[in-house]
Amino acid sequence: MSSEFDRFPEEERERIEQEIKQAYDFDPQDPLFGLSQVELRGPKMGRRTVLRLLAAAGALSMWHLLPGLGGGSEVFAAGSGGELTAGWAGTNAISTLDPAQINQVLEFQITSNVLSGLTHINPDLIAEGDLATDWKVSSDGKEYVFKLRQGVTFHNGDPFTADDVIFTFNRSKDPKQSIEYRLLDDIESVEKVDDFTVKFKLHAPQASFLVKTLERASGRAMTIVSRGALESMGAKQYGLTPVGTGPFKVTSHQLGQGVVLEKFDKYYDPTRPKLDKVKIIPVPEPAPLAAAIAAGDIQLIGGNPPAPELIDGFVANPDIVVSILPGPGFQALWVNPWRDPFKVTDFNKPFDELAKEPGFMVRLAIAKAMDRNDLIKRALFGRGLPAFGTINPAMRFYFDQTINATSSQRFDAAEAQQLLAKAGFPNGKGFPTLKLNVNSAGKREGEVIVNILKKSLNINVELVIQQWPVLIDNFDKMNFDLLRIGSGGDYDPDDGLVDWCETTSKFNGPTRDKQKMSFGYFSDQEVDKLTEAERIETDMNRRKTLVQQANFITSNKVMCVFLFHLMDILVYRKEVNYPAVSRIPGLVDLDRTTINKKTS
Amino acid sequence: MGSYIVKRVFYGLVVMWMVATLVFFMLRIIPGSPILASLGVEGDPAAAAKIRHQLGLDQPLYLQYLVWFERIFQGNLGNSLYGSHQPVSQLIQQAFPRTMSLATLSFVIALLLAVPAGIISAVKKHSLLDHSFTLAAFLGLSMPDFWLGILLIMLFAVQLHWLPAIGYVSPSQGLWPWFSHLILPATAIGTAFSAIIARMTRSALLEVMQEDYIRTARAKGLHENWVILKHALRNSLMPVMTVIGIAFALLMAGTVIVENVFAIRGLGRLLIISILQEDYPLVQGTLLVIAAIFVSINVLEDILYTYINPKIHY
Repeated sequence: MSSEFDRFPEEERERIEQEIKQAYDFDPQDPLFGLSQVELRGPKMGRRTVLRLLAAAGALSMWHLLPGLGGGSEVFAAGSGGELTAGWAGTNAISTLDPAQINQVLEFQITSNVLSGLTHINPDLIAEGDLATDWKVSSDGKEYVFKLRQGVTFHNGDPFTADDVIFTFNRSKDPKQSIEYRLLDDIESVEKVDDFTVKFKLHAPQASFLVKTLERASGRAMTIVSRGALESMGAKQYGLTPVGTGPFKVTSHQLGQGVVLEKFDKYYDPTRPKLDKVKIIPVPEPAPLAAAIAAGDIQLIGGNPPAPELIDGFVANPDIVVSILPGPGFQALWVNPWRDPFKVTDFNKPFDELAKEPGFMVRLAIAKAMDRNDLIKRALFGRGLPAFGTINPAMRFYFDQTINATSSQRFDAAEAQQLLAKAGFPNGKGFPTLKLNVNSAGKREGEVIVNILKKSLNINVELVIQQWPVLIDNFDKMNFDLLRIGSGGDYDPDDGLVDWCETTSKFNGPTRDKQKMSFGYFSDQEVDKLTEAERIETDMNRRKTLVQQANFITSNKVMCVFLFHLMDILVYRKEVNYPAVSRIPGLVDLDRTTINKKTS
Repeated sequence: MGSYIVKRVFYGLVVMWMVATLVFFMLRIIPGSPILASLGVEGDPAAAAKIRHQLGLDQPLYLQYLVWFERIFQGNLGNSLYGSHQPVSQLIQQAFPRTMSLATLSFVIALLLAVPAGIISAVKKHSLLDHSFTLAAFLGLSMPDFWLGILLIMLFAVQLHWLPAIGYVSPSQGLWPWFSHLILPATAIGTAFSAIIARMTRSALLEVMQEDYIRTARAKGLHENWVILKHALRNSLMPVMTVIGIAFALLMAGTVIVENVFAIRGLGRLLIISILQEDYPLVQGTLLVIAAIFVSINVLEDILYTYINPKIHY
């Protein structure tokens, strides 16, 4: 299997492996994760400390360590000023910019430019204070005291103080006001010490606290909101034009028509932002998106990844820069275990025993018939990596490099045909016509899957295109034969294992008919045990083993047919100087971006 | 006349109520879980249940209907189920001027192309000009407006850099920016409608030109242009007006695909997105407004008939 990582020179790979090894080398019982209190103090935490915390939080990924991503020494060719117009791909509207309501990456790509957190990690892996200037941690790792930046004002002129941190915490913790309330479960309390000092008390040491929970980009639940603005404009308007302390302020937002950001002159760092104005236009259709960037009407594409069929055209255009990095998440084809001909009502049997059941044989036949390279080539124009589990190559440390060879799902058309014959359907004879549910965006993938299954197994699959509310409802109720859905995810293994693989996971058919189905799409006691164990395991090497074991079982027992992992693709015109320091997968930070003015 | 209009408005209100009620109940029959969908791909079903309760969507259907109906009389169309739950009336208010701008400009383009072409075709029947206009009309009818839109973008935005490819600018930001953003989508839409109107004008005019009073007008020695414009055209306008009225109503209801191609969020796009997302309050509100537009245009058309043809009395 090839990956972005393998393309780098050996010495670089050795350096990366060495850094990863060091990051995970600590006593799991140590509440400070093998770091000293001094190392954990503000106003900055070094690369080694951040790597350790990311590792302990299960959030360390390959992209953190790839060469070329740690900018910082970038010299800007262009001066400050200017206006950038960005197209936000694959969306009809930026539904909300309120961090308490955000559920899409394309939304917090914008708020990351408008709002602030207490900390921020740059791609040099230096954790810097964002709205915090300094911090201390107690010896038991359960108490953090933050000194807040003074003289910071919100876009509406209100001063930023400790009260805003407490207000944000209380709001985000309230399920009636926030959909992110669960992210703050580990925080016992937040106290105001004085106007510019706050104390957080945790229930238990949490490695991800500084580098994830409080971090500006991915934090969300603790992204600081303005009490004054919320009270004066109300939550609905705040969702359109949030007021924060970030480098840009929202000056206009018409749902579906676009957002206008303007430079905030009183931003605490006077050197940023470089641009005067940023216009963001949602562009739902691929063809106009391609035309708009080719014409120079837009200079950068953010939002959802651009449609795969456009990428080759972008790469071939000398005026356009395409930056591709491995992305998190997994994409899968779900096979309903409660329906014939792939019925399996007890996944707990040992694999050998399970393999004798006709229903399982059919599941496995479908998985083995899936030529993932062909699928990626035809549906994604080559922009993806074959998947055999929820753990993706972007997670590097947890990723099992051998799973493509060891999983029962590995592609083998001949073996797939034999399995189908053994299950009573030689050459697909007598096999019922299946229905494959996909949403409209997945039509192309669906067509390729239908074609692959016909070619490999001679079975007929009818493509059923459903809108998102119907598709997700059918998935929750287990009302499908085959269904295409996946996870955008983040870099934490729990994102796949806990959310998708456990019997009680939140997506495992929660609204199914429980009288007829005791579990959703998958249930395996061993996977449940391993997942519960890895969640609390602080020894990262042991955790890695547990994660990989659980991942292997879900793959082997065909929890679903794993298809591919997507790539993170950023596209912009060459007149845009998008510095490496801003290139964080999933985000579009524009505070350091500049634009060359046209000279023609 | 006055009582007729009052009667028509009353019937219009009944139609709107029927549309609204039908839509309300039909939406609930459609399978799907919009609340869970609104939370995104990784939305938590437990959080969805909480929101459903907060919005009263777990109440009996008749109760939801009564609450919704009562709110309409208070001028409250409810809030969108997605994002920060924006008021539906606000979303419609934002989309309406865009659709109005696009529809009006498309309409003007359609009329500017269609009426002269229809008249010339009728007057110069079977001439080269007539055949050329007929061919152009069939081309206009055959070519989907979104496809023409993409071709126009490729030519005027990508190749020539004369006009912007996408987006909408309010006229308050300047007439040229507004016009330059609308001219391509309006041309794409207007061309298709002009083909229909041109064909209708031609056939209606041809029919009228056979009438005795036209022969009489010519016999009186009136100038041919006067005969056509004063006598023939005016009398041929009745069927044309009907088509124009329907065309304008359709334009006001939104031209979804062209709006999508040019990234303009008008009423049509708003409606389609809300249907696809099963955003109940937004679908209900938008359809109510669209029904009101259709009813209003119909009433207006009836009034216009009396001016075009004084023989018509209500």
